[in-house]
Amino acid sequence: MDYLVAVLLPQLLHGLVFGAALGLLALGLTVIFGLLGVMNFAHGELYMLGAYAGIAVIGVTHSFWLALLLAPLLVGVVSAVTEITTLRPIYTREPLYGLILTFGLALVFREGARQIWGGDMRRILPPFTGSTPLLGMTYPNYRLFLLMAASLLLLAIWLFFTRTRAGIVVRAAVQDAEMLDGLGVNVRRVFTLTFAGSGALAALAGLLLAPIFTVYPQMGVEMILLAFIVVILGGMGSMGGSVVAAFVIGVAQSLFSLWMNPQRVAIAIFGIMIVVLIVRPRGFFGREGVLE
Amino acid sequence: MSRLGGRAGVVAFALLAALPAAPWMSKYYLLLAFDALLFGAIAMSLDLLMGYTGLVSFGHAAFYGLGAYATAILLERGVLSLWACVPFAILVVGVYAVVVSYFATARRGIYFALLTLIFAEVVYTFFRYTQTFGGSDGIQGLPDATLWPGVAIDTPVRKYYLVLAYLVVAWVVCRTVVTSHFGRVLVAIRENEDRARFLGYNVQRYKMAACLISALLTGVAGAIYPMRSAFATPDLMLWTESGEFIISVMIGGLGTLVGPVVGGAFFTILRDKVSSVVDWYFIVIGVVLIVIVLFMPRGLLGLRRLLTPHRWRATA
Repeated sequence: MDYLVAVLLPQLLHGLVFGAALGLLALGLTVIFGLLGVMNFAHGELYMLGAYAGIAVIGVTHSFWLALLLAPLLVGVVSAVTEITTLRPIYTREPLYGLILTFGLALVFREGARQIWGGDMRRILPPFTGSTPLLGMTYPNYRLFLLMAASLLLLAIWLFFTRTRAGIVVRAAVQDAEMLDGLGVNVRRVFTLTFAGSGALAALAGLLLAPIFTVYPQMGVEMILLAFIVVILGGMGSMGGSVVAAFVIGVAQSLFSLWMNPQRVAIAIFGIMIVVLIVRPRGFFGREGVLE
Repeated sequence: MSRLGGRAGVVAFALLAALPAAPWMSKYYLLLAFDALLFGAIAMSLDLLMGYTGLVSFGHAAFYGLGAYATAILLERGVLSLWACVPFAILVVGVYAVVVSYFATARRGIYFALLTLIFAEVVYTFFRYTQTFGGSDGIQGLPDATLWPGVAIDTPVRKYYLVLAYLVVAWVVCRTVVTSHFGRVLVAIRENEDRARFLGYNVQRYKMAACLISALLTGVAGAIYPMRSAFATPDLMLWTESGEFIISVMIGGLGTLVGPVVGGAFFTILRDKVSSVVDWYFIVIGVVLIVIVLFMPRGLLGLRRLLTPHRWRATA
């Protein structure tokens, strides 16, 4: 019982916290893949830019909350500009080109961040400290806030896609962009805004996780690999699947690290993915023929 | 003979063979030439997959790195013969490649890229974080390999000829593949996988075979690398390395074989020159990649192809 409360429970919560943030990242990746047919290799760099934009805003305003508002906006603008200038011309080509183009973008963003902010590790202080008694243990306030904020965001995104006209337009564009164009919707704008939105979400995830993790130019590389695994596990293009898989990976990673060193954990996560792909080749919620 | 490149091919190889005799050829430039040709050969074998079969592998660094470790492990233990190192590398890379290609080719398109990437990352993580093979330092300070007892591959000129010989072998293999019936089926799969399947071809088996050939060629390139550098490190397996192979193929031009050799050499020299001037050479490389995708998707050789649009399909 002691073991349960003192060890397992906090680790489980850590996993949920991480899973929720990972969900924000993977969701953007899935939507972009569904909509544009582009597996965005630069997504991890948008996540990284979110954290650095946060540091920059905090440096000027000394407010974490303002950063939480402004950093995603800034990265959203960067994403929109990127989409218009580089991705838009290649939508008609094979997905391969999108993959390679975003790989180039990732190199530029990563090295650009290193040039601007330097290569060393940075930290963002959490906006509040302390911890709350919870189920017989105490748990850091900031992590609870992170879990709540990320979960609420995921809920808001779900409501956006199911309850608002704009969300339904995006889903319609995923289904058949050409038809939507014929119906008089400005599909180009839908693409740009969705890309900006997914970039902003990644930035938000980066900034929210920054007080727990460290900030450095390569931080996106590790996360993007996990996010890819999440997207594959959830089923390519399935938004619900991505969120479920993000929580599964978050919790699994967290619990495994109780019993293994971090490198074994990474290998175990890969192992999970391989097993799932043997049993369910299309992931949890992937449907046959979707985006193949 | 013409299927192997004809007169132009012979002239090109003759020029490459004469390169060490050039008066300005220093030791430094010979080793740079080694890297350029090795990278070119790897890009060429990746082109079999990317350009001809339509599969983008983001995990070729694992084949390369495993080959390098296979050689390094033998050299470290005093097995110096080239004829032991290369077959051992082929064995190691082959076993791994069968597993990866089985899973990766079961799915189409983007899945292939992601699965090869993730498998490669498993291998990288293993070599990087377990101390069995030296952890992050890898295996350092290796002795020179021998061609046969008493003849060590020790001077830059000998190393250069080793890689040139490998390039010739890889070229012959690749050209034979793409001009054969098998190669035409690969192109058919690239163009329309369903139709190839309806014609009765076992598409997955063809993809696996293409993947294996490409992986083994890359693995042999990896096996040669420690004979020049005297080390093997986990960084050889990093996924950015796979990205650089892809960049080389793109620079040269998909589905041309010659293009990626040129592209790989160009990329290696560009990286060497730019990184000696500025420390932000990744930005330069990223921008080069973006410009190529946007404005010349057929690569450097594609510029030439635009003038004669119909003659140049990658059907060999």
